[in-house]
Amino acid sequence: MKNNIKIERAIKNMTQEDLANKIGVSRQTINAMESNKYVPSTVLALKIAKQFNKSVEEIFILEKGD
Amino acid sequence: MKTRFLFPYKYKLIGLIMLVPSAIIGLFIIMTDYQLPFLELNVFSITTQAFGGDNSHWYKNNITDEVVAILFTIGALLAGFSKQKNEDEYITVIRLESLLWATYINYAILILSMLLVFDAGFFTVMIFNMFTVLIIFILRFNYMLYKSYKSLADEK
Repeated sequence: MKNNIKIERAIKNMTQEDLANKIGVSRQTINAMESNKYVPSTVLALKIAKQFNKSVEEIFILEKGD
Repeated sequence: MKTRFLFPYKYKLIGLIMLVPSAIIGLFIIMTDYQLPFLELNVFSITTQAFGGDNSHWYKNNITDEVVAILFTIGALLAGFSKQKNEDEYITVIRLESLLWATYINYAILILSMLLVFDAGFFTVMIFNMFTVLIIFILRFNYMLYKSYKSLADEK
Protein backbone atom coordinates (compact mmCIF):
# COMPACT_ATOMS: atom_id res chain seq x y z
CA MET A 1 0.00 0.00 0.00
CA LYS A 2 1.25 3.45 -0.80
CA ASN A 3 0.00 6.79 0.44
CA ASN A 4 -0.04 10.50 -0.34
CA ILE A 5 0.52 11.75 3.18
CA LYS A 6 3.67 13.63 2.29
CA ILE A 7 2.01 15.36 -0.66
CA GLU A 8 -1.12 16.24 1.30
CA ARG A 9 1.07 17.56 4.06
CA ALA A 10 2.94 19.76 1.61
CA ILE A 11 -0.35 21.11 0.21
CA LYS A 12 -1.50 22.01 3.71
CA ASN A 13 1.96 23.28 4.56
CA MET A 14 2.24 21.06 7.62
CA THR A 15 5.36 19.55 9.15
CA GLN A 16 5.46 15.94 10.31
CA GLU A 17 5.34 17.29 13.83
CA ASP A 18 2.16 19.32 13.13
CA LEU A 19 0.36 16.32 11.70
CA ALA A 20 1.60 14.03 14.47
CA ASN A 21 0.30 16.40 17.15
CA LYS A 22 -3.05 16.85 15.42
CA ILE A 23 -3.81 13.15 15.26
CA GLY A 24 -2.09 12.17 18.50
CA VAL A 25 0.77 9.95 17.35
CA SER A 26 4.56 10.24 17.47
CA ARG A 27 6.51 11.88 14.66
CA GLN A 28 8.20 8.53 14.05
CA THR A 29 4.85 7.07 13.05
CA ILE A 30 4.23 9.76 10.41
CA ASN A 31 7.75 9.31 9.12
CA ALA A 32 7.41 5.51 8.98
CA MET A 33 4.13 5.78 7.05
CA GLU A 34 5.56 8.26 4.56
CA SER A 35 8.50 5.99 3.87
CA ASN A 36 6.11 3.02 3.50
CA LYS A 37 7.59 1.20 6.48
CA TYR A 38 4.36 1.15 8.42
CA VAL A 39 0.75 0.49 7.47
CA PRO A 40 -1.50 2.38 9.89
CA SER A 41 -4.54 0.97 11.65
CA THR A 42 -7.97 1.79 10.25
CA VAL A 43 -8.53 4.30 13.05
CA LEU A 44 -5.34 6.15 12.22
CA ALA A 45 -6.03 6.07 8.46
CA LEU A 46 -9.47 7.59 9.07
CA LYS A 47 -7.98 10.27 11.31
CA ILE A 48 -5.41 11.22 8.68
CA ALA A 49 -8.02 11.39 5.91
CA LYS A 50 -10.23 13.55 8.12
CA GLN A 51 -7.33 15.87 8.80
CA PHE A 52 -6.89 16.47 5.07
CA ASN A 53 -10.67 16.59 4.39
CA LYS A 54 -10.40 13.71 1.98
CA SER A 55 -11.66 10.15 1.82
CA VAL A 56 -9.37 7.36 2.93
CA GLU A 57 -9.07 6.04 -0.64
CA GLU A 58 -7.67 9.37 -1.81
CA ILE A 59 -4.82 9.16 0.69
CA PHE A 60 -4.14 5.41 0.82
CA ILE A 61 -3.87 3.40 -2.38
CA LEU A 62 -3.63 -0.38 -2.68
CA GLU A 63 -0.77 -1.71 -4.72
CA LYS A 64 -0.32 -4.94 -6.66
CA GLY A 65 0.40 -7.73 -4.22
CA ASP A 66 -1.61 -6.26 -1.34
CA MET B 1 -4.39 5.31 21.82
CA LYS B 2 -5.43 2.77 24.43
CA THR B 3 -2.72 0.27 25.14
CA ARG B 4 -3.42 -2.74 27.24
CA PHE B 5 -1.07 -4.65 29.50
CA LEU B 6 1.59 -1.92 29.71
CA PHE B 7 2.83 -0.10 32.79
CA PRO B 8 2.67 3.69 32.96
CA TYR B 9 5.61 5.61 31.50
CA LYS B 10 7.21 6.55 34.84
CA TYR B 11 7.82 2.88 35.68
CA LYS B 12 10.37 2.67 32.90
CA LEU B 13 12.86 4.71 34.90
CA ILE B 14 12.10 2.76 38.09
CA GLY B 15 12.71 -0.43 36.11
CA LEU B 16 16.06 0.81 34.82
CA ILE B 17 17.12 1.86 38.33
CA MET B 18 16.39 -1.69 39.54
CA LEU B 19 17.80 -3.37 36.45
CA VAL B 20 21.25 -1.86 36.05
CA PRO B 21 22.66 -2.35 39.59
CA SER B 22 21.15 -5.83 39.93
CA ALA B 23 22.67 -6.85 36.58
CA ILE B 24 26.12 -5.73 37.73
CA ILE B 25 25.75 -7.36 41.17
CA GLY B 26 24.27 -10.49 39.55
CA LEU B 27 27.24 -10.90 37.22
CA PHE B 28 29.57 -10.38 40.17
CA ILE B 29 27.73 -13.08 42.15
CA ILE B 30 27.92 -15.55 39.27
CA MET B 31 31.66 -14.96 38.88
CA THR B 32 32.64 -14.99 42.57
CA ASP B 33 29.82 -16.85 44.38
CA TYR B 34 29.69 -13.90 46.74
CA GLN B 35 26.93 -13.96 49.39
CA LEU B 36 25.90 -11.33 51.90
CA PRO B 37 26.24 -13.02 55.32
CA PHE B 38 23.13 -11.39 56.83
CA LEU B 39 20.95 -12.89 54.07
CA GLU B 40 21.60 -16.40 55.41
CA LEU B 41 18.06 -17.35 56.44
CA ASN B 42 15.76 -20.23 57.21
CA VAL B 43 13.53 -20.32 54.17
CA PHE B 44 10.34 -22.13 53.32
CA SER B 45 10.31 -24.16 50.15
CA ILE B 46 7.29 -25.81 48.52
CA THR B 47 9.57 -28.71 47.58
CA THR B 48 11.58 -30.74 50.07
CA GLN B 49 15.36 -30.64 49.87
CA ALA B 50 16.57 -32.55 46.84
CA PHE B 51 19.92 -33.44 48.37
CA GLY B 52 20.29 -34.34 52.01
CA GLY B 53 17.45 -36.81 52.51
CA ASP B 54 15.55 -34.60 54.91
CA ASN B 55 11.79 -34.22 54.29
CA SER B 56 11.53 -30.78 55.88
CA HIS B 57 10.16 -27.82 53.92
CA TRP B 58 12.41 -25.45 55.88
CA TYR B 59 16.07 -25.09 55.35
CA LYS B 60 18.96 -22.74 55.60
CA ASN B 61 19.73 -20.84 52.45
CA ASN B 62 21.54 -17.66 51.55
CA ILE B 63 19.05 -15.58 49.57
CA THR B 64 21.50 -13.04 48.05
CA ASP B 65 21.12 -14.54 44.58
CA GLU B 66 17.33 -14.83 44.91
CA VAL B 67 16.97 -11.17 45.90
CA VAL B 68 19.17 -9.99 43.04
CA ALA B 69 17.41 -12.23 40.51
CA ILE B 70 13.97 -10.98 41.56
CA LEU B 71 15.10 -7.34 41.46
CA PHE B 72 16.55 -7.89 38.01
CA THR B 73 13.45 -9.65 36.66
CA ILE B 74 10.99 -7.04 37.95
CA GLY B 75 13.31 -4.26 36.76
CA ALA B 76 13.57 -5.79 33.29
CA LEU B 77 9.80 -6.28 33.04
CA LEU B 78 9.18 -2.66 34.03
CA ALA B 79 11.89 -1.31 31.71
CA GLY B 80 10.63 -3.35 28.77
CA PHE B 81 6.89 -3.14 29.25
CA SER B 82 6.30 0.43 30.39
CA LYS B 83 4.72 2.80 27.93
CA GLN B 84 6.99 5.13 26.00
CA LYS B 85 6.42 8.82 26.56
CA ASN B 86 4.79 9.04 23.12
CA GLU B 87 3.35 5.53 22.99
CA ASP B 88 1.29 4.93 19.86
CA GLU B 89 0.37 2.09 17.55
CA TYR B 90 3.65 2.13 15.61
CA ILE B 91 5.67 1.84 18.83
CA THR B 92 3.40 -1.01 19.91
CA VAL B 93 4.23 -2.81 16.66
CA ILE B 94 7.96 -2.21 17.20
CA ARG B 95 7.61 -3.59 20.74
CA LEU B 96 5.82 -6.77 19.67
CA GLU B 97 8.20 -7.40 16.77
CA SER B 98 11.16 -6.94 19.11
CA LEU B 99 9.65 -9.46 21.50
CA LEU B 100 9.21 -12.00 18.69
CA TRP B 101 12.73 -11.36 17.49
CA ALA B 102 14.14 -11.73 21.03
CA THR B 103 12.32 -15.04 21.49
CA TYR B 104 13.82 -16.44 18.28
CA ILE B 105 17.35 -15.28 19.13
CA ASN B 106 17.07 -16.51 22.71
CA TYR B 107 16.03 -20.00 21.70
CA ALA B 108 18.55 -20.13 18.87
CA ILE B 109 21.26 -19.47 21.46
CA LEU B 110 19.71 -22.08 23.77
CA ILE B 111 19.63 -24.74 21.03
CA LEU B 112 23.27 -24.01 20.20
CA SER B 113 24.11 -24.33 23.89
CA MET B 114 22.25 -27.66 24.10
CA LEU B 115 24.48 -28.92 21.30
CA LEU B 116 27.74 -27.46 22.50
CA VAL B 117 27.65 -27.07 26.29
CA PHE B 118 27.23 -29.82 28.87
CA ASP B 119 27.07 -30.51 32.62
CA ALA B 120 28.01 -27.61 34.87
CA GLY B 121 28.57 -25.33 31.90
CA PHE B 122 25.03 -25.94 30.74
CA PHE B 123 23.75 -25.13 34.22
CA THR B 124 25.42 -21.71 33.90
CA VAL B 125 23.81 -21.29 30.46
CA MET B 126 20.42 -22.03 32.05
CA ILE B 127 20.99 -19.37 34.70
CA PHE B 128 21.70 -16.79 31.99
CA ASN B 129 18.85 -18.10 29.87
CA MET B 130 16.34 -17.15 32.56
CA PHE B 131 17.10 -13.51 31.78
CA THR B 132 18.27 -13.36 28.18
CA VAL B 133 14.81 -13.10 26.56
CA LEU B 134 14.18 -9.90 28.47
CA ILE B 135 17.69 -8.53 27.92
CA ILE B 136 17.65 -9.18 24.16
CA PHE B 137 14.13 -7.75 23.92
CA ILE B 138 15.03 -4.53 25.75
CA LEU B 139 18.17 -4.03 23.66
CA ARG B 140 16.40 -4.70 20.36
CA PHE B 141 13.34 -2.59 21.21
CA ASN B 142 15.41 0.41 22.23
CA TYR B 143 17.68 0.03 19.22
CA MET B 144 14.66 0.05 16.88
CA LEU B 145 13.23 3.10 18.68
CA TYR B 146 16.60 4.81 18.35
CA LYS B 147 16.70 3.96 14.64
CA SER B 148 13.21 5.32 14.00
CA TYR B 149 14.12 8.45 15.94
CA LYS B 150 17.37 8.78 14.00
CA SER B 151 15.57 8.59 10.64
CA LEU B 152 13.69 11.74 11.60
CA ALA B 153 16.87 13.78 11.36
CA ASP B 154 16.76 14.13 7.59
CA GLU B 155 13.02 14.84 7.41
CA LYS B 156 11.05 17.95 8.11
